[in-house]
Amino acid sequence: MNNYSILLLSTILVPLVIAIILLGFGKLPKSVTQFLATLGFCFPALGALILWVNFVPTDASGYDYLMTLPTGLEALGITLKLGLNGISVPLFFLAGIVGLAAGIYAMQSGAERLQQYLMLILFMQAGLMGVFASVDIFFFYFFHELALIPTFICIGVWGGRDRHSAAMEMTIYLTLGAMLSLLGLLAIYFQSGAESFDIISLKAAVLASPIDGGAQTIIFGLLLFGFGILVSLFPFHSWAPRGYASAPTSVAMLHAGVLKKFGLYGFIQVALPLVPLGANHWSMVLAWLALGSVLIIGLITIAQRDLKEMVGFSSVMHMGYCFLGIACMSVLGSAGVIITMVAHGLTVALLFLLGHVVYKRTETYDMHDMGGLVKHAPALAALFSAAVFASIGLPGPGLLNFFGEFTVFTALWEFSRPITAIAVLGVIISAVYGLRAIGRIFFGSPSEVFEKHLKENSIKDISTAEKIPTLLLLITLVVIGLFPRMMTDNMNTSLEDNFLSINSELKQLAIEEPAKSALELAQSIEPSAK
Amino acid sequence: MDSALIYKLLFLLPLVTAGMIACLMRKKHTLAAVFSVISATVFSGLGLYLIFASERTAWSVSWLSLGGSEGRAFDLNFGVLFNDLSALMLLVLIIVGLLVQVFSLGYMKEDPSKARFFAGLSIFMFSMLGIVLADNLVMIFIFWELVGFSSYVLINHYFDKPAAVAASKKAFIVNRVGDFGFLLGIVFVYWQFGTFNLVELEAKAALSPGLLSTGMGLLLFCGVLGKSAQMPLHVWLPDAMEGPTPISALIHAATMVAAGIYFTARVYFLMTDEVLNVVMWIGTITALFAAIVAFGQNDIKKVLAFSTLSQLGYMVAALGLGRYAESTGHGVEAGLAVGAAVAMFHLTTHAFFKALLFLNSGSIIHACHHEQNIYKMGGLSGKMKLTFATFTIGVLAIGGFPFLAGFFSKDTILHLAHSASAHGGSSVPFYILLGTAALTGLYMGRLFVVTFFGKARSDHAAHAKESGPAMVIPLVILAVLSVIGGYTGIYGHSFDGVFHSIHMAEGSFKTLMIITGTLFSVGGIILAWLIWSPNKETDTLESGAPVLFKALGKRLYFDAVYDWYVEKVQDRVSLILSFLDQLFISGLMVRGTAGIVGLFGIISRSMHTGNLGGYAYWFAIGVLVLGAIAFGTITF
Repeated sequence: MNNYSILLLSTILVPLVIAIILLGFGKLPKSVTQFLATLGFCFPALGALILWVNFVPTDASGYDYLMTLPTGLEALGITLKLGLNGISVPLFFLAGIVGLAAGIYAMQSGAERLQQYLMLILFMQAGLMGVFASVDIFFFYFFHELALIPTFICIGVWGGRDRHSAAMEMTIYLTLGAMLSLLGLLAIYFQSGAESFDIISLKAAVLASPIDGGAQTIIFGLLLFGFGILVSLFPFHSWAPRGYASAPTSVAMLHAGVLKKFGLYGFIQVALPLVPLGANHWSMVLAWLALGSVLIIGLITIAQRDLKEMVGFSSVMHMGYCFLGIACMSVLGSAGVIITMVAHGLTVALLFLLGHVVYKRTETYDMHDMGGLVKHAPALAALFSAAVFASIGLPGPGLLNFFGEFTVFTALWEFSRPITAIAVLGVIISAVYGLRAIGRIFFGSPSEVFEKHLKENSIKDISTAEKIPTLLLLITLVVIGLFPRMMTDNMNTSLEDNFLSINSELKQLAIEEPAKSALELAQSIEPSAK
Repeated sequence: MDSALIYKLLFLLPLVTAGMIACLMRKKHTLAAVFSVISATVFSGLGLYLIFASERTAWSVSWLSLGGSEGRAFDLNFGVLFNDLSALMLLVLIIVGLLVQVFSLGYMKEDPSKARFFAGLSIFMFSMLGIVLADNLVMIFIFWELVGFSSYVLINHYFDKPAAVAASKKAFIVNRVGDFGFLLGIVFVYWQFGTFNLVELEAKAALSPGLLSTGMGLLLFCGVLGKSAQMPLHVWLPDAMEGPTPISALIHAATMVAAGIYFTARVYFLMTDEVLNVVMWIGTITALFAAIVAFGQNDIKKVLAFSTLSQLGYMVAALGLGRYAESTGHGVEAGLAVGAAVAMFHLTTHAFFKALLFLNSGSIIHACHHEQNIYKMGGLSGKMKLTFATFTIGVLAIGGFPFLAGFFSKDTILHLAHSASAHGGSSVPFYILLGTAALTGLYMGRLFVVTFFGKARSDHAAHAKESGPAMVIPLVILAVLSVIGGYTGIYGHSFDGVFHSIHMAEGSFKTLMIITGTLFSVGGIILAWLIWSPNKETDTLESGAPVLFKALGKRLYFDAVYDWYVEKVQDRVSLILSFLDQLFISGLMVRGTAGIVGLFGIISRSMHTGNLGGYAYWFAIGVLVLGAIAFGTITF
C-alpha cells in the first residue's frame, strides 16, 4: 500500500465522510455546507486525475494502486480490495469529473433543504467512485447500491412532475435489475470455486478450471437481464426517460452519465472474462435487443416533444451501441464500448445540464413551446449545439463519441454485416432528432406561448456560474477526443489480457464440441452396426 | 521550411482564428473580419509555398491505436499525404477561399453577425484542408463530417428565416444519409485490407485486386452522392442557397461539393469497373436532369445551383468514363488515372468560373438590395459594367466558348465519353453529355439575357449601382482565371501528376469541339434572346407551358417525395412506435404489474410520512447497517 493507494481510498472516503457530517450534524450554516460540499466534489475529481496521470500497471494482474482492507467477512470471501486497471481508470475519472460538474450545479440549484440534497449527492459520489475502484465484486455491487438509493430519494423528494410514480417505477425496476445482477455475481463466485470475491483471484480460478458451460449460460442470462435492466436495454428501458424527466438535474447527470455505466462496466470487467461461454451463447440475443435500442428507440426519440425525455431516449439509444460492442466479444468491440461510455457519460451530463439551463429561461421542457432563443442567449445556443453535435457523434466536439461509435461499428462488421448495416442507420436517426431539437429551441420564430413568456420576462444568456460545469465537461470531452490514446493505450492492454484467456476458452469449446459430436455420432452409429 | 511544420501551421491557423473570433471578437465585427482576412492571407501564403516550392511529402502521428482481432492492428493516424493531386485541390481551396474572404468584406459589410460568419468561414477552411491533406480514410471521414457541420452553420446564417433553418437541417441530414454508406464502406475496406492508410491501400489493392469488390466501391461512393449532391441525394444543394452568397460560391460551388470528386480521385484504385459504370450513369443523368430543371428557376442563385449540380454531374461522369481510358502507365509514378485526372481538371476550371458566377450574382444581389428573382432585375448591363463584363466571361466559360477555361475541361470529358464507345462502352453518355452542353448554353443564356438586358423590372434594379472594390477585385481575378485556367502550362510542373494523365482531344475532334463550343455558348445566348426576349415581364416557358414550368419549378417532385416520406412515413412511424412504447412496454409490462407496485406502495407509505426526515432516517439506517457490516471491523 503506497500513498497513491491511500489517495484512491480517500476519493471514496472524503465524499462519504462529508455526507455523513452533513447528515449527522444537524443544520449547518450555509457557508460551512458549501465549503464542505465543494471539498467533497473537488477531491474525488482531482484525485481521479492524479491517479489517471500516474497510472502504471506494474502488477501482472494489470492493476495499479492495489490495496486490501480487512472487513471481518473474510470467511465469506469479502474483502475491501481497491485498485484500478486500464479499463477502470477512464471510468473512474469520468465519475470524478461528472460528479464535480453535477455537484457544482447542485450547489447553485437553490434547491430547498440544500444541505440534505448535497448530502445525498455526496453519497452518490462516494458510491460512484467506489464502483470503479473496487476489485472485489461484492463491493463493486455494494457501492452501486450506495449510489442508487440516494438516486431514488432525490427523485422522490426533489423531482419534477410525476416524481412519485417515476421514482417508484425506477425503484422497482432497478431493484429487480440489481437483484438479478447480484444473483449472477454470487453464482459466479460459487461456481468458480475461488476463495474470494476478488476479481483477480476469480480470473485465476476460472483460468485454472473454467466454469461449466451450462452454468455459464445461466449466469450470463441472469447478468444479461440484470445489467440490461440497469443500463436500460430495450425493452427494459421505460424507466429511464421517465425517471430522468422527473429527476433533478444533478441526479440525472450522475445517473445517466455515470451510474448507469455500472452494468456495461460489469459486462466488460466481470462477465466477459469470467463467463465467456455464456456470453458467446447469448451474444446474438444481446445484439438483436441492442439493435432494438438503436433503431426502435431512435425512432421513438424523433417523436419526443419534451427535451428531457428526448435526451433520456437518446441515452437509451446510445446504450444500444454499447451493447452491440459487448456482443462482438472482441478487444475492438469492448474498446469501442469503453470509449463510448466515457464520451456518452460526459455528453449526456452536458445535455441534462444545458437542458435545465434552457428550462430556466423558457420555463418549459416542451420544445414546441420554444423557438428563437438564440437571439436572447447566443452563447447558450452555441454550447447547447456543441453538446447536441457531440451527442450525434460529429467529430469536432464529439470526436470521442465518433471514435467510440466507429470502433463499435468496425468491430460489429466482423460479428455480423447485416446488423452493422442496421446499426449504422442510427447515425441518420440521431442527426434527425438532434438537429430538430436545436432548430425548435433556438432558431426560427418563437412559438405563441414563448412569445408571451418573452414579453413578461427578460431572458439572459448563460451565466458564468452555469458556464463553469458546462465548460468543465465540454473541454474534458474535446481534450480526450483529441488525444484518445491517453486513455486507450492502457485500456487496450487490459482488454487484450482479458481476451487472451477468453479466446482460448472459446477455442477450447470449438475443439471440444466437434469432438463431442463426433463421439456422439460414433456412439449412435455403433449400435446399428452391431 | 520544414513541410511538417507547414502542415501543422496550416491546420492551426484557421482553427485558432475561429477560436479567437469566437472568444474575443464576438461583438467586434469589423475587427473580426479584418483579422480573418489577414489570417486567410497568411494561410494562402503558406499553402502556395507548399504547393510550388516544397517537396511532396507525407507526415503522420498516431491518433488512436487498438488491438484488432488476430493480430490485425486498428491504427488510426492523423496524417498528411501531399502529392500533386492534393496540391491541385489545395490550390483551388486557397484561391477561391481567399477571394471569397475579400469579397465578403464588402458583401457582408452591414451584416449584424459578421463575426460569426467569418468564424464559420475559418472553420470551413480548416475542415476542407483536412479532406485535402488527409492520408487515411477515417481522417477523411472526420473532416468530411466537419465540412458538413460548417456548411450547416453557414447555411443557417440567417436563422430568423425558417427557410434557412430548414435548409441547413436538410443539408446536414441528407449528407448523413450518404455518410451512412460511406462509413460502412470504410469499415468494409478495413476488414478487406487491414488498413485505412491510402498509400498502403493503393499498394495492397495493386497486389491483390481480388480483395476489391463492387459493394465496397458503391458504399464509399454513397458519401460522394451526398457531398457532391448527385442523384438521388441532390436535393439539399439548391436549398443550401439560403446561405449568404459568398458561402454559396466557396462551399456550395467551388470546393466542398467538389470534395466528393476529389475523394473519388484520391481512392480511384478502390473503384472496380462495375462501380465506375454506376458512377458514370449517375453523373450523366444528374448532369442532364439538373440542366433541364434549371429552366424552371427564377431565382438567380437557384439557376446557378442547378448549373453546379449539372457540372458536378460532368465530373462524376468523367470519373466513371475513366474505365474506358487507356492507362498511361503502371505504379505510383504513372500518375493519376485518366478518369480522375479529367474530373479534377474540370473541377479546377469549374471552381474558377462558378465561383466567378456566384460572386457575380452576389454583386448583383447586393446592388439590388437582396432581390434574387431575375424577373425583378433587368437592364443591369449599363449600371454594373464590371459585373456585367465578368459575368459575360463566366457565361461563356461555362458554355464552353473556345479557348476559355471551361472549353478545355469540358472538351476532355466529351472526348473521353466519345472514345468510350470505341472501347466497348455505350455511346449514350456521350450524346447525353453533348446535349447537356447545349442546354447549359441555353439556360445560362436565359439567365444572362433576363438579368442584364431589357428594362429594369423593379425599383431596386433601376437604382442598382456597381459594387465596391472589395467585391469587384475578386471578380476580375476570377474572370482572368476563367479565361486562362484551362491552359495547363500556366501551372508549371507542379501538378504534372494530374495533368499528364489528361488526354487532350486532337485532330478532327478538336475542330468539332471548337464548332460546338462556339455554337452552344454564343448560340445559346442568341437563342435565349429570341425565346426569352429581355423585354418580356414573365417567363416564356411559364406562359407557354405552365404545367411544365411548374413541374420544373418543383424540381420534378423529388423534394416533394422526400418531404412526403419524412412527414407521412418517418414521423408517423416514430409517433406510432412512441405510442406503442407508452402503451405496451411502459403501460402494460411495467405499470400492469400494479399488484406489486401497490404492495410496494403500501409498504413504503407505512414507512415514511412524506417528509424528508423520514426518507433521510430510513436511508441512514440502511447505510449504517451496510456500513457496519462493511467497515465495522476496519482497523486503521
